[in-house]
Amino acid sequence: MLYRSRLVLALLATCALLVSPASHADTDAVSVTDDTDRQVRLEAPATRIVSLAPHITEVLFAVGAGDKLVGVTQHSDFPPEAERIPRIGGYSRIDLERVVQLDPDLVVAWRSGNSASQIERMRELGLNVYVSEPRSFEGVASSMRRMARLAGTEDQGQVAVQAFLDEIETLRLDYEDRAPVRLFYQVWEQPLMTVNDEHLISEAIRLCGGVNVFGHLDRLVPRMDREAVIEADPEVIIGGGMGEDRPDWVLAWEQWEDMTAVQRDNLYFIPPSLLQRHTPRIAEGTRLMCEELERARSRRTD
Amino acid sequence: MPRTPHSAPATRQPHDDPGPGARSVHQKPGPDTLLATDDLVIDIPGRPPGAPLELTVDPGQCWGILGPNGAGKSTLLQTLAGLRAARAGRIDIKGQGISTLPRAELARRLGLVFQTHHDGFPATVLETALIGRHPYLRPWDIETAEDYARARAALAEMDLADLEDRMVDTLSGGERQRLAIATVLTQDPSLLLLDEPTSQLDLHHQVAVLNRVQAIVAQEHRAAVLVLHDVNLAARYCDHLLLLFPDGQACWGPTATMLVPSALERLYNQPLSVGEVDGLPVFLPRSE
Amino acid sequence: MTRSFLLATAVLLPASLLAILIALAFGSVAIAPADLLAVVAGDGSRLHDTLVLELRLPRALAAFAAGGLLGLAGALMQVLLRNPLADPYVLGLSGGASVGALLAMLAGLSMFSVSLAAFAGALLSTVIVFGLAHGTGSWTPTRLLLTGVVVAAGWGAMISFLLAVSPTAELPGMLYWLMGDVSHARNPYPAWIVLVLVVLLALPLGRTLNVLARGPMQAAALGVAVRPVEWSIYIAAALITATAVMQVGAVGFVGLIVPHMLRLIFGNDQRVILPASALGGGILLTLADTLARTMIAPEQLPVGVITAMLGVPVFLFLLYRSR
Repeated sequence: MLYRSRLVLALLATCALLVSPASHADTDAVSVTDDTDRQVRLEAPATRIVSLAPHITEVLFAVGAGDKLVGVTQHSDFPPEAERIPRIGGYSRIDLERVVQLDPDLVVAWRSGNSASQIERMRELGLNVYVSEPRSFEGVASSMRRMARLAGTEDQGQVAVQAFLDEIETLRLDYEDRAPVRLFYQVWEQPLMTVNDEHLISEAIRLCGGVNVFGHLDRLVPRMDREAVIEADPEVIIGGGMGEDRPDWVLAWEQWEDMTAVQRDNLYFIPPSLLQRHTPRIAEGTRLMCEELERARSRRTD
Repeated sequence: MPRTPHSAPATRQPHDDPGPGARSVHQKPGPDTLLATDDLVIDIPGRPPGAPLELTVDPGQCWGILGPNGAGKSTLLQTLAGLRAARAGRIDIKGQGISTLPRAELARRLGLVFQTHHDGFPATVLETALIGRHPYLRPWDIETAEDYARARAALAEMDLADLEDRMVDTLSGGERQRLAIATVLTQDPSLLLLDEPTSQLDLHHQVAVLNRVQAIVAQEHRAAVLVLHDVNLAARYCDHLLLLFPDGQACWGPTATMLVPSALERLYNQPLSVGEVDGLPVFLPRSE
Repeated sequence: MTRSFLLATAVLLPASLLAILIALAFGSVAIAPADLLAVVAGDGSRLHDTLVLELRLPRALAAFAAGGLLGLAGALMQVLLRNPLADPYVLGLSGGASVGALLAMLAGLSMFSVSLAAFAGALLSTVIVFGLAHGTGSWTPTRLLLTGVVVAAGWGAMISFLLAVSPTAELPGMLYWLMGDVSHARNPYPAWIVLVLVVLLALPLGRTLNVLARGPMQAAALGVAVRPVEWSIYIAAALITATAVMQVGAVGFVGLIVPHMLRLIFGNDQRVILPASALGGGILLTLADTLARTMIAPEQLPVGVITAMLGVPVFLFLLYRSR
């Protein structure tokens, strides 16, 4: 009896094993639409992911998929664990051989950074490519959700997304309706570059109750003439640059003593990795910006 | 070119006697005529038209063109070769209008040696001589052993056999001139047009080249037209002369009738002494 | 001629195969010779098959075709201008093709129209350079080079302008026109078709070009219809430059150093030099691209960097020697 029931159990187990692959595939297949409106469908959540840009690496870590990364581009420096993942070349020129050798089941690409023909080539080689191009806070959140879904880390991803959105929402409630502050955001010194209102950074500026003095310009990253900046006379100048330290050119504005921003000592620096990368860390950068703008308001005399 | 005050109209023969209209000894072109021009006026930009030319070059003739610098000798030669458009008139090569002949066919009938040799693309002496066979080969043809033999024979005649592997740009001026003549010998056309073929040559090679031209002309159906600066060489090697005066006038005819000292003095605006060596007239510049 | 043709064939054909083999054997992923043989024999592993047959082979073929086109374009232009310093990159043809292609890309035209625009750009550049540099009868090296350099600089400024006004998202795809880069190359076969066609058309013209190399007047005196021949060569040079630019962007100096080195070995017969330059250019760019892929792997270099590092000293040496 006991023996028979064991046999039945064994048979059932075998059946279950035989049946399971199909049902497994059915339940585990994941499918999302990427930022180029392409359907990306995986039979099962990705276990070997290649990231083609530093900020994508960061997002994948944020949604708990960091341990599934098998290859990342140069300069993937956050979080520090990312430094240990094998490199596959710079984002503009991917070493396709390395990618193929890593045998990934998901490649996450960056539309405005990677070469379109290389992305196409990877598709031809049978790789699953998800193309990411977030343009807003909502886009960052949506990217996080979709990447988490593809990596099968939706629970962790949801937590991260919620934390990100909560922080943004808190900032919005605190600062969006504060007295407007006219500001100039300086991306780079030579050439002198800023951003227009389409840019993610401007979303942060608006959220903090700021007004981008060059937001109306046509180009996403316009090149500026110094005269135009002086004429616009912003109340605050915020510099970006490249590294984690304040570049010298932020304080170089001090030579224009008549500018309001200089008179009130409103020359600030926010690390570009917190504001220019489309990752959840932008919430932290936005918080810094909101605090600087609040400080600027406190320096108003009237 | 200043016109000498005492110069008579040059549309006459150098002899003073013939009446108006008797411009030159003018043969009518025959069936064998290699080159005939009919009222040919060459085109020298910025100059009024010169005298119309009625030249007839028959097989066996060697014509010399004499004239001062700038009289249009080279222009005439290039016009005769079909490389320049004439201002007026017509040119027949072996009885056919020059403009109706395909270039390759024209190159089989006449060959031209230029006065100056531009630095072309690097090439060896033999390669350069060998391009004389170009008019005879079709696009896919490769030079045959016979073509090589002709080129080598021509180089040997011009004393260049030892230099056949040298690059052209390492040659001296005289060597390059001989190479240009070797090339036209390889081309082997019926009518040779040579622009100052002896200008850069030493005495020995001057004579060698002109002897060779004379020997070619002695063959059947061959003739040559030479631009020369040396009246004495012209007197010795040419049976016909064409004098191109700086004012655009011209006269032509058998050498014996053209070598009139007064005409030559007018031609070059230079007083001459005349002597006789080996039965031939010799002209030397005379200082006043 | 026959001898040096056979010699060139005997040297360059095996060298071409060897260059492609080297390109197949080396990459940022090491493949043992035995595994490579297995791939060739048809029983390699899936990874090795993909690496060799789907990544390295198309890329090697693209590099070879583009290099061949550039070598041929250089050889054609040098004999036309009777100047060993002529080259589609130095004289601004590549720049013109790049500008044409970029404009078409910005306008959102189809790939075919982009190719046509590249051709038009190269042709325009040809007309400008040759039209302006044509002095009295011959192209003096200084005049030609100055015109070419100025025109190339103009195109460079146009490219910078186009890059400056282009949407940021398009930049990475556009930048490679400036550098020359095989990593973006797509289907190599159109370039191969153009290469083979132009070589086949140029071969029967070879002797005519030999004559033309003596100067236009001399050539005319030897029965060459100079104008039609010159124009067809200009158009051919523009066409193959544009095709190469479409494939790999503005790669410099291949058209300069390849024909020059081949002339040192095989002499000046265009019937030998034209096909030899096609093969030699192919060999050079294939090997240069293999270097670009592997030198600092996994970082990838644009191949234009490698050819410029080789080409600049050679160019300066030639300029120094050309009085």
